[in-house]
Amino acid sequence: MIDLAVSRAAVEDFLYAEADILDAWDYDAWLALFEPGARFEVPTTDFRGWSAIESGSFVTDDWDLIKARVKRLKSRKAHAENPHSRTHRLVSNVRLHPITDPAAPLRVGPVSTNVALTARQFGDLSDSFRVTASFVVHRARDGEFDSYVGRYDHVLVPHEDGFRFRLRRSILGHEFLTAGARLSFIL
Amino acid sequence: MTHTMVAEDWDRQTFRVNREAYRSQQLFDAEREQIWGRSWLYLGHETELPNKNDFKVRTLAGRPLIFVRDGEGEIHAFLNSCPHRGTVVCRENEGNAKNFACFYHAWTFRSNGQVSSIPGLDAYPGDEAFRASMALRSVARLEIHEGYVFVAFTADVPPLLEHLGDAADYMTMIEQQHASGMTTLPGTQLYSVRGNWKLAVENAMDGYHFSPTHNTFVGYLRESGFAVTDDDQYAYTLQNGHLLLVLTGHGGRISMIWEPRFGEDERVRTQEHRAEMVQRLGERRAHYVADESHILFVYPNLLLFDIEGLSIRQLEPVSPGVTDVRAWQLVPKEEDPDARALRMRTVVSFVGPGGLATPDDIEAYEAVQRGIEATAGGGANDFSDMSRGLADEIKGVQGRSIDEGAMRGFWRHWVAAVAPAGLSVTGERPESFVTGRDVR
Repeated sequence: MIDLAVSRAAVEDFLYAEADILDAWDYDAWLALFEPGARFEVPTTDFRGWSAIESGSFVTDDWDLIKARVKRLKSRKAHAENPHSRTHRLVSNVRLHPITDPAAPLRVGPVSTNVALTARQFGDLSDSFRVTASFVVHRARDGEFDSYVGRYDHVLVPHEDGFRFRLRRSILGHEFLTAGARLSFIL
Repeated sequence: MTHTMVAEDWDRQTFRVNREAYRSQQLFDAEREQIWGRSWLYLGHETELPNKNDFKVRTLAGRPLIFVRDGEGEIHAFLNSCPHRGTVVCRENEGNAKNFACFYHAWTFRSNGQVSSIPGLDAYPGDEAFRASMALRSVARLEIHEGYVFVAFTADVPPLLEHLGDAADYMTMIEQQHASGMTTLPGTQLYSVRGNWKLAVENAMDGYHFSPTHNTFVGYLRESGFAVTDDDQYAYTLQNGHLLLVLTGHGGRISMIWEPRFGEDERVRTQEHRAEMVQRLGERRAHYVADESHILFVYPNLLLFDIEGLSIRQLEPVSPGVTDVRAWQLVPKEEDPDARALRMRTVVSFVGPGGLATPDDIEAYEAVQRGIEATAGGGANDFSDMSRGLADEIKGVQGRSIDEGAMRGFWRHWVAAVAPAGLSVTGERPESFVTGRDVR
């Protein structure tokens, strides 16, 4: 079991560093924050805790698709992000949760998320722990300025130089995506 | 609108659309009346309401509606408005309820729309007819084809199957893909775009944009062992404004056409499923159901992407420059869990505002919406060109998906409905011109 008492400040540093990396559009550095085999998920705005195979999603990337997404975003032919959005991220309300029972749902804000899926896909989770946090991503593009608000529900693995994402999940707090608010950048 | 909206020139082999059609509030209002007020509109899928008293709230043509399965299992669509003074009766997005209670004066309605309680009824006319007249107002017409629920706001529409015409069979083909039938999944992609709804229709019918716009996605497919080509891909105009792209040899289809990125287990499942389909449907029908990808536009607000997997997309025009989109994934009711996981991964990687391809589509038609302001008031310059492939169609050669024939079919239907005086025709359409498609 991971000792959570000592690691919260370190997790906050990790999340703040990730926010800076994404705002700087340094996608190679972002990919390096994942362990091979990791997943990236953005559920739909009507999310009620379903797994990504029992529901539609905005993003349900396995490791191959994360790499494809990074490669795409680095290309000048990713038209939806050329020119790039200007983003500014705030991360707050960081909380750590030990994974005592991989099948037990975790309540994140208004929804319970399905840990059982994580266990099915990642097997033994005793080397990892969950982090929940709030985010606000401000985005400027095409003369418009939008805000995206939601909660993170991540599975992190300690690493010699910090942590690695095993699951990176962004759960939007919106009822729907407002006009122009496509998720062509990383939420 | 008396000036030219659609200019069809058979002599010069050109087809042009006035850009006012994408930005005029007057035309938007005319569309609301002439199209959305007088056509069958796609409301939702029956499987979104699996249980008695399940409901969803949905806006169609700007009208708030309650889409509900009543206590007897019947599907209804009610105007979400109290017959008393007009309050929105249901303020939840979805749920299960035997009754809908208006919070304003506490009038209560059953899930079949009948009024169940009016507080202080003794102050109203005492007859039962008054009480009965206060039921939730239903849409004028509601019919269902293969689980797809359509409504109309006027009774003066033909029977649904007559309206659907040849489009109906393509919807049946989707239902026939799996012996267990199809169901929608929760997890609806709800998003809005800064573009006219007709640009979303054009984009779905536009194979010409695929390679340049989706350069990064095409690259991803190529790396996974699959080269995209434009070969054997055709566009069809069906009756009543419906449109069809038929894509063969285009790409894999979960459980029907295998490609390397689907993996070896899926290859076996695909072979088994194909054998089952041939037995159930016959060789010829199984071929049409399994071997072709279809993108079907059911006029005016439903797009069915029957490609790698199945997505239902519904368009809701909000203003000339804004469209709400709702998209559901349609899956076999009974499916191997590994196949389902592969299906969701594959479908979501392409479609939706977080996919690897759809954001570029949205970028494209939002850029059109911004760009068409440039030529406003520009007379003959204020037109978009959709002539591509017209020469082939005049010769009687079936139009390709990388041409603009399906778009032309849409605009001919649109101008007849919205601005018939705005159609300018030069020359005569030759007999050889091809329409429609018969696969039966």
